Amino acid sequence: MNAVEYEGIAKRFGSVSVMEDISFAISEKKFVVLLGPSGCGKTTLLRMTSGLEKVSKGEIRFFGNRINEVHPRDRDIAMVFQTYALYPQMKVFDNIAFSLQVRKQPKAEIKKRVEEAAEILDLTPYLQRYPKALSGGQRQRVAMGRALVRHPKVFLFDEPLSNLDAKLRAQMRYEIRRIHNQLDTTTIYVTHDQIEAMTMADEIVVMQNGIIEQIGTPDEIYDRPANRFVADFIGSPSINFVEGVVDTTSSAPVLQVESQQLPLPTGLNLEPGRELIYGIRPLDIKHDQGSALSGSLDFIENTGAESHVHFMFGGNRMRLVKHERLSLNPGETVNFLPDLEKVHLFDKQSGARIN
Amino acid sequence: MLSPGQRMLRALVAWMVVGIFFFPIYYWFTIAFRIDKEIFEIPPLLLDFTFSWQSFEEVFGITIGAKGGLEVVPGGGNYYMVPRLVDSIIVAVGSTALAVTVATLASYALSRMRIPGQHHFVFWILSTRMMPPVAVAIPMFFIYKNFGLLDSHLGIIIVHALMNLPLAVLLLKSFFDDIPQEIDEAALIDGASRFLIFRKIVMPMAIGGIAATAVLCFIFSWTEFLFVLTLTQTSLKTVPVVSTTFVTSTGTAWGKMAALGVTAMIPAFIFILLVQKNLVRGLTLGSLKQ
Ligand SMILES: Nc1ncnc2c1ncn2[C@@H]1O[C@H](COP(=O)(O)OP(=O)(O)O)[C@@H](O)[C@H]1O
Ligand SMILES: [Mg+2]
Repeated sequence: MNAVEYEGIAKRFGSVSVMEDISFAISEKKFVVLLGPSGCGKTTLLRMTSGLEKVSKGEIRFFGNRINEVHPRDRDIAMVFQTYALYPQMKVFDNIAFSLQVRKQPKAEIKKRVEEAAEILDLTPYLQRYPKALSGGQRQRVAMGRALVRHPKVFLFDEPLSNLDAKLRAQMRYEIRRIHNQLDTTTIYVTHDQIEAMTMADEIVVMQNGIIEQIGTPDEIYDRPANRFVADFIGSPSINFVEGVVDTTSSAPVLQVESQQLPLPTGLNLEPGRELIYGIRPLDIKHDQGSALSGSLDFIENTGAESHVHFMFGGNRMRLVKHERLSLNPGETVNFLPDLEKVHLFDKQSGARIN
Repeated sequence: MLSPGQRMLRALVAWMVVGIFFFPIYYWFTIAFRIDKEIFEIPPLLLDFTFSWQSFEEVFGITIGAKGGLEVVPGGGNYYMVPRLVDSIIVAVGSTALAVTVATLASYALSRMRIPGQHHFVFWILSTRMMPPVAVAIPMFFIYKNFGLLDSHLGIIIVHALMNLPLAVLLLKSFFDDIPQEIDEAALIDGASRFLIFRKIVMPMAIGGIAATAVLCFIFSWTEFLFVLTLTQTSLKTVPVVSTTFVTSTGTAWGKMAALGVTAMIPAFIFILLVQKNLVRGLTLGSLKQ
């Protein structure tokens, strides 16, 4: 069963159109991440889902029922905001309990559920504190406690980790995913951070400028990006792009890049003269002394575990990742070998994937 | 870092500024406690004047004994000033309460609700303060006469509240604008009604701003002259208006005027002290916004 369905969603703010026609479905109990650069409409879509923003056109359904006109409090959702939006004059206990108090639940029941939520989130020692006496990570947990105390059908998260430092963020990624699995609900999670999307999601919806670029599992999106934008947005270090023209004069097709040539995957039936973008991830290029392909070294970044080798190839800046240290001087020759299985080819004009 | 000398200089200048503001008040106090013939002594007697309760006794119709005992003279003295102080307090407290209540609700709505043409509101609200009050005084007189509000506490409370509303709304709106909208939205999803959000969440966060606004409204009403003069006759008079009775054809009773003025500072002072606790609380609450 689909927990949430979007059909032909459009949103305008006055004369500004943020999205024109968004349709997709989220099946029950899935952790779905809306991923895209800042300003692409993720928050707007989430706010329409929560009912804080009106839908200009189209229909949103929860478990098959249209909810466009349903008040936020009756949608059975909970939302965690980027700024946490805690109530500063209430203690942690009351922050978490507020929604139950408003709904006039019995006192004992409220206490039980708040303590349950606090237990899951390790907040038990802090229930009698005010939010200002908490660290950023603890505030973030309170915001989550406020959401999960309600046992909602759908959790909505809007960049909940973006105000935390890197280490805490990595820990909270794991925590949020663990809580999702434990509660067995549906989660829609908005972020611009592809690592968060890759590590947490069952399914990723990649957006740009109010358009869905691709929907798929993290593996599908990483292995077969649907277009140049997705390939560029997903993966760290980011993918190499080389522009060139197809040349089929010799037996195997190659991509002519200025004066140099790159081998192309076979069996694609590309017409000669077609302009392509050749994408290859740094981890899919081997540093191979025996290879006929060569570039000139720009510089090497050592991260300790691996070396990022930056080099120039036919006027393109490229990078490969090697799992050993490498000592070479700038300007020296770098011989490299791309893994033809992992090459992503995109049309130069449309950016769409063609292999 | 400032050198010790520079720090001394800074403190000195600060105290000079404080002195400049404080001196007239002190001078006014000394006049209230001098005997009449010493008031215009040159050079002015700032410290070694003859201390006397005489002005207070005459203004309020009391006698203050040598040991500090206080006795009310039957008949209330010549000036009946105690009821005038009570009038002032009723009017100032009433109009402040009315203005702050209405302004708080209105400014929250203006801060949160999306209304077409909303950006005209600020100008529209301010425009009501652009004409001089005198221009309104005479029309107000006739309106009040028809509505039977003339010469009543309620009438003055309403007119003072009306005068205060524009600035109170603008001031409070800026405080509400500073409270992130997401807090309202979180509460909305939590299931709270608009009014509950206002009462339980947003208003407590804006309490400092509300206190500051209340102080301004109170001070305005406490010192307002023109409308009280034109819209009252006999049943009430506030302190600023009644002060003018000390200016007579045979001279001005400076000592009595000062005694009334000094006494009139006390309720205003108490009000501000009461509200100031909230001012500080409001400020510390504000500091935890992320
Ligand atoms: N209330 C609003 N009024 C006008 N434009 C808005 C409003 N909210 C968002 N937008 C616009 O909609 C676009 C998408 O915003 P948003 O959904 O916040 O993006 P994201 O969350 O992906 O960064 C942006 O261009 C933004 O300027
Ligand atoms: Mg956003």
